[in-house]
Amino acid sequence: MIDKEKWHERAKEEVQKHPERKEAFTTSSSIPIDRVYLPEKVDGSYEELGFPGEYPYTRGIRRTMYRGRFWTMRQYAGFGSADETNKRFKYLLEQGQTGLSVAFDLPTQIGYDSDDPMSLGEVGKVGVAIDTLKDMEILFDGISLDQVSTSMTINAPASVLLAMYIVVAEKQGVAMNKIQGTIQNDILKEYIARGTYIFPPKPSMRLITDIFAYCTEHTPKFNTISISGYHIREAGSTAVQELAFTLSNAMAYVDAALEAGLDIDKFAPRLAFFFNGHNQFFEEIAKFRAARRMWAKIMKEKYGAKKEKSMQLRFHTQVAGSTLTAQQPDNNIVRVALQALAAVLGGTQSLHTNAKDEALALPTEESARIALRTQQIIAHETGVADTIDPLGGSYYIETLTDQLEQKAQEYMEEITTRGGAVAAVEQQYMQREIHRAAYDTQKKLEREEEIVIGVNRYQLEEEPQPDLLRVDDKLVEAQLDRLQKVKQERIDTEVKEALSALKKAAEGTENLMPFIIEAVRRYASIGEICHTLRDVFGEYE
Amino acid sequence: MDKIRVLIAKPGLDGHDRGALVISQALRDAGMEVIYTGLRQSPKQIVRAAIQEDVDAIGLSSLSGAHNVLFPEVLRLLKEQQAEDILVFGGGVIPMEDAQELEKKGIQKIFTPGTSTITIAAYIEKAVMEGRGKDTGILEPPKGIDHIGIAVRSIEGTLPFYLNHLHLEVEKIVEVPDQQVKVAFLPLGNSKLELLEPLTRDSPVAKFIDKKGEGLHHIAFSVSSLQDRLNQLKREGVTLIDDVPKNGAGGYPIAFLHPKSADGVLVELCEVKDAERTDND
Repeated sequence: MIDKEKWHERAKEEVQKHPERKEAFTTSSSIPIDRVYLPEKVDGSYEELGFPGEYPYTRGIRRTMYRGRFWTMRQYAGFGSADETNKRFKYLLEQGQTGLSVAFDLPTQIGYDSDDPMSLGEVGKVGVAIDTLKDMEILFDGISLDQVSTSMTINAPASVLLAMYIVVAEKQGVAMNKIQGTIQNDILKEYIARGTYIFPPKPSMRLITDIFAYCTEHTPKFNTISISGYHIREAGSTAVQELAFTLSNAMAYVDAALEAGLDIDKFAPRLAFFFNGHNQFFEEIAKFRAARRMWAKIMKEKYGAKKEKSMQLRFHTQVAGSTLTAQQPDNNIVRVALQALAAVLGGTQSLHTNAKDEALALPTEESARIALRTQQIIAHETGVADTIDPLGGSYYIETLTDQLEQKAQEYMEEITTRGGAVAAVEQQYMQREIHRAAYDTQKKLEREEEIVIGVNRYQLEEEPQPDLLRVDDKLVEAQLDRLQKVKQERIDTEVKEALSALKKAAEGTENLMPFIIEAVRRYASIGEICHTLRDVFGEYE
Repeated sequence: MDKIRVLIAKPGLDGHDRGALVISQALRDAGMEVIYTGLRQSPKQIVRAAIQEDVDAIGLSSLSGAHNVLFPEVLRLLKEQQAEDILVFGGGVIPMEDAQELEKKGIQKIFTPGTSTITIAAYIEKAVMEGRGKDTGILEPPKGIDHIGIAVRSIEGTLPFYLNHLHLEVEKIVEVPDQQVKVAFLPLGNSKLELLEPLTRDSPVAKFIDKKGEGLHHIAFSVSSLQDRLNQLKREGVTLIDDVPKNGAGGYPIAFLHPKSADGVLVELCEVKDAERTDND
């Protein structure tokens, strides 16, 4: 038996004879990676590691985790018209998917009707087009909203889509307090990284806290926000930035809700998170663990939350779209599998696995199925879900978890000194940091310091041409016709009344949710509702 | 050489600007001037900005699948504004089939994901340079020497040499007040000599004589398409004295290039219409 010093000496001698692949190894967040991790950094005591389901939840938020129930397999889907997407939803549910996740097209996400000139070319492209309640009724036709949980990637007009969901449930005879799901409703990351903002920060924060207040009372099973690091990472951030910016944004929402007079233990249990499952396997696992620990501490120590549920960070993961390659797209299946495995080892509550063809187009039915199968294989065949936090206690994982926490805290302190996340966004601070990291990554690829198989190494002369999903342009026509028809059939005076009541409420301080629900019920379109709010709130430039 | 100017634009509602920002910075690092429009630009806004900013090329980025509608619309509007000399290239989530279709419609090039920024910068530079050449056509070299200018203190004092010994004749003597110079024209084959006598102490010719003494002052080439040629020279990095042609003593448009561009020789370009030339011939 030799000691540590002796071993390091021997290893150094060996390196002198046979140099290692790189002079220095680092994670995406520039954390140096040691040759080997030794017990010294982890004492193995229970105090150090903690237990699953116990504060600070480093090892997971449940005492049984996947031994009780697998994560929710929730594939983001939506394209073309409501009819078309309804078919894809039913297909995915038949194939064993356990939750729905709606992708809306850009006009819907930015509050324009399909017939608005701004919508040119975008209708039904990146998701389903929703103009009025009518489309939403068709979208969930034959799907009982008390049987399924639905996540909706909708931010600036989140209240409008939530209102539509509530009214559709009501029409199906499902009580409001029974509906389950999530609205993304995270406007800060839209300014930072995703771009589907409408209103300036202040009224946007009000819309969000209105939702918090309304849902706490009426839809207790609905997650009122999904605070997202996903898009921050897609825009090019490091793992540490993803962690720090997401948690800083979360604190801004908590601050806004407290300022609006809400009780922390009433709204905090419905805050959800959304992270990226990226390439660096161990760093990702450590990131999820660090996120849980950091959030628990913030909620307990900074905000004085008392309920366990307020301190538990629940998160959805989507694997990294930006790592998919257009070249040799089949290779993406392997990337997705490894990224998804890291998310599972990190204890995600739900998971979206990307389809192999998404660097080129929206997924076909076949590629969407393979994506779903990938996580089913992880769940049922690998055994990784049979014990909780299987990598807990790994010298490397525990060290990395600590390091990510520490580095993210440094960033968060910087954001605090800048006046919090809202101020930092307005100063473009996070945007600049992310851009710098993105450019750095690009340069590393071009210098071949980072290798992407099929792109800067092992390229093919001739690329295979996969069959891609095409959104039929006829769908746009049909969508415009439907909107026309709805507008003819509804009672105009009711719509006008509802919109002017909404306008008045927006000018005042009342909770806007009941007014938006009323307008939606009268078949006011998303464009009409958002234009009413634009008139009062203005637009973010 | 004038810097290449590029407008990077996000048409439509797509908010993914990682690619647009990375390309913007990479082109800047490659020495180009880059204007980034920001998100949510209509084709109309993009074309207006491109013309206002006098760019050589527009880079369109779309990841939302709207490329088949929005990219051709930019081309159509450029044509409508007679600005189709502005090159348009694109990138984003664009299937190969669509890329080929768009290139057929007049998009210079669609860069697919994974293309290195170095490749993109090199491609744009080459395409713009070729475009600039095509713009004006490769202009023909000067057709001949229109005249040679000689600075003299006094025409009267110098003329006897040319008249009595070389037996040339004086065609005319004129005063050009805005140059503060008196000019004697002595035809010589297809060309002529110009004797330049300063009218005042501040005249450019007076200063020339003060500095360098009497003697050869400038050489003038006869060229066609003077304004286009000046534009081209400017783009190629030649320093001009006159950006736009002015009326010369001979009654036709002329412009001077700066002597530092020709290692000390003052070069004048004269636009002489072919018809007039033939008359003289």
